Amino acid sequence: MEYRVAIGRGLQAGEIATPYDEMLDAIGAVRPHYLALNQRVAALGDEELAQRQRTLERFFLLQGITFTVYGGESSTERIIPTDLLPRIIPAAEWATIEAGLTQRLRALNLFLADIYGDQKILMDGVVPRELVLSAPSYRREMCNLYVPHQAYANVCGSDLIRQPDGAFAVLEDNLRVPSGVSYMLANREASKRTFPGTFRLAGVLGIDRYPDLLLSTLKDMADWKANPQVVVLTPGVYNSAYYEHAYLARLMGVPLVEGRDLVVHDNMAFMRTTTGLRRIDVIYRRVDDDFIDPLTFRRDSGLGVAGLFNAYRAGNVVICNAPGTGVADDKAVYAYVPEIIRYYLGEDAILPNIETYLCREPNQLSHVLANLDKLVVKAVGASGGYGMLIGPHASTKERATFAEAITADPDNYIAQPTIQLSTAPCLIDGAIDARHVDLRPFILSGEKITVTPGALTRVALRKGSLVVNSSQGGGSKDTWVLGPEESAS
Amino acid sequence: MMLARVADSLYWIGRYVERAEHMCRLSDVMLSATVDRSEAATQVTRIALAAVGHADQYDPGPLYDAARALALDREDAGSITTSLSLARENARQVRDQITTETWERLNLIYLRLTGPSAGEAFEAASSTFLTDIIADLHLFKGAADATMSHGEGWGFLQLGVYLERAQLIARLLKTCFGDTEQATITDHYALTSLLRMSCGLEPYLRRFTADMQPRLILEFLMFDAEFPRSLRFSTARIAEHLAGLSGGSDRTSPSGPERLAGRLQARLQYADVETLQIHDASPMIATVIEECAGIHAAIYDTFVAYSLEMRLPA
Repeated sequence: MEYRVAIGRGLQAGEIATPYDEMLDAIGAVRPHYLALNQRVAALGDEELAQRQRTLERFFLLQGITFTVYGGESSTERIIPTDLLPRIIPAAEWATIEAGLTQRLRALNLFLADIYGDQKILMDGVVPRELVLSAPSYRREMCNLYVPHQAYANVCGSDLIRQPDGAFAVLEDNLRVPSGVSYMLANREASKRTFPGTFRLAGVLGIDRYPDLLLSTLKDMADWKANPQVVVLTPGVYNSAYYEHAYLARLMGVPLVEGRDLVVHDNMAFMRTTTGLRRIDVIYRRVDDDFIDPLTFRRDSGLGVAGLFNAYRAGNVVICNAPGTGVADDKAVYAYVPEIIRYYLGEDAILPNIETYLCREPNQLSHVLANLDKLVVKAVGASGGYGMLIGPHASTKERATFAEAITADPDNYIAQPTIQLSTAPCLIDGAIDARHVDLRPFILSGEKITVTPGALTRVALRKGSLVVNSSQGGGSKDTWVLGPEESAS
Repeated sequence: MMLARVADSLYWIGRYVERAEHMCRLSDVMLSATVDRSEAATQVTRIALAAVGHADQYDPGPLYDAARALALDREDAGSITTSLSLARENARQVRDQITTETWERLNLIYLRLTGPSAGEAFEAASSTFLTDIIADLHLFKGAADATMSHGEGWGFLQLGVYLERAQLIARLLKTCFGDTEQATITDHYALTSLLRMSCGLEPYLRRFTADMQPRLILEFLMFDAEFPRSLRFSTARIAEHLAGLSGGSDRTSPSGPERLAGRLQARLQYADVETLQIHDASPMIATVIEECAGIHAAIYDTFVAYSLEMRLPA
């Protein structure tokens, strides 16, 4: 079992830096926090590893952690690809991540409270007014609406990447309805079975409190009631994240409801139970803003509940995350997050942004158009890896098409340098090989902000690929965050 | 407290699981009858086909194909695969309400039945294939019994199981004894097969010995107080589970399910079993089928599809 990565060397002009490897350092030696795992893997051998990978896949299949592939006469169920080798983050690095994410979400919540309130930051010209107010995810309906603890984004899943120099940076803030937390928990269940001894000795921080921390965060949001009724609102069984909705409802012990289970009467929300209607107080919704309430948002939505937004406005029910949080993870607003942090907290951002060019600014636009072959261009409204141009990998024709689209609607595009994701060892076809990974930790904010010491590590399974989204053939693996004492020894 | 939609799903899981188990048994008995070429065997296959709703298609040639289709045909609304797919689909919708142990049992059966090697396994050993599914379904019921809270959700699951069971057994009895014009089945092999189809051979032997009499079999399948598949036993459980559900105020109203179930249970419990004649059975069986349908509708009106105006808070 041999694991090799390209060793760092002097960069030529225009060359992309060698990626940081999670396990091996610049001279190819195993990093101290990976030593135990590396030894264990070597001791197990190829055959046993493959066997454990199969056991892991069977665990996922049995649990129903699957998505359905439709084709021909029959449909088959596939598990989400998962890799058995955990990704390990030492305590000191995690401390930075935790502080950085807490700082960032505090600032973004203040930003949301401000732009839906007094709009001071817009008056002071720190963020351009029209950029915020014209963003499709800006919800005028949210203006001057009371949100307890100013916690707009109760659940946040930020995407971090590790740059070639080893420092983490934020690639994206997901403040709408971030998903993936069930994979984080399921991967942990699985890796505890796969490497029980190594896991115990490593001193991995636990993530099993996530469901009850989520529940108490949601309960915080009904600040008028001692023991509020919380529900999880799902679009239904055909949604690709349905497994996660059911999983969280089950682990929190609260009902999993669909729009058709809910009724709004006299600006109060109820669910239909076997014994009649029952009042609900907090809705952890896993339905996008557009579909929450056909009377307020999209009229053709059958997933939401008519009148729900008015009940929210009346203060009789809380919707979590608040509608309109998407404006704070807008790809153009993203560029201003360091300023936003400085404006509200008077601090420098602990976790840096990726350098971002806004095509809406004429001088930056010309730079983008001149350097399309080096940049990644993203449509502001799109997510999930769609609507993207990866310059260095694109054909001349694709670049020309994108250049036209950008010139036609510059407000809709941003560009970033081609980023390099770090690599981590993964079991691919029976051999251990390097694949690019990112990191999605989950942050809860109610009365206070909590970062769960763990994350979903997403893996680009295709060799050399930088696209980790599950909709584009990405997989995942467990993430071990080590406790402070162990890393010192 | 339980969502109406969830109660509905749990109820249907119970029904589909029970239906699948019954169909497995019918197919198995039917297939083993085809091995024999006697007159009685023909009668058995006719009963089985009638009970699965293929009365008029009797043709012993493609019987094996019929059994295979009954097991694996995804297009056939009554097939075992369809029933279990629907049971699992419902379970997926209420995944948060059933325990992991329970879910895994059902998911496993489903994966095996819809997996690529299902057809091959059936062809290699159809009887083993079918009895394995029955055994797995028993594991499912056992896991549910041992790990789920015996509260409201459990009540709806059991309601589905017993209501479906009462209807299936009643329909089977109707095929055998419902038609007063037709000659009563007297053949020993046919009678034994009937008991096999209702999983009652061994309990029957223990109670009545190997004396196979149509009247006794009828009595056993309808009125036995202890045999878990008799109509009396099933309706007693229906009444019991309905009484255990909290329900709205109209639960015990004239058209409420509890009153209907109680009445049916009493009818079976206090029937004059001693003087029962074969030809008396037909109207009784028809009543059971009719009243089960009535209970089903009443459950819906009371717990699931009630009108909102009646239930709005004052």
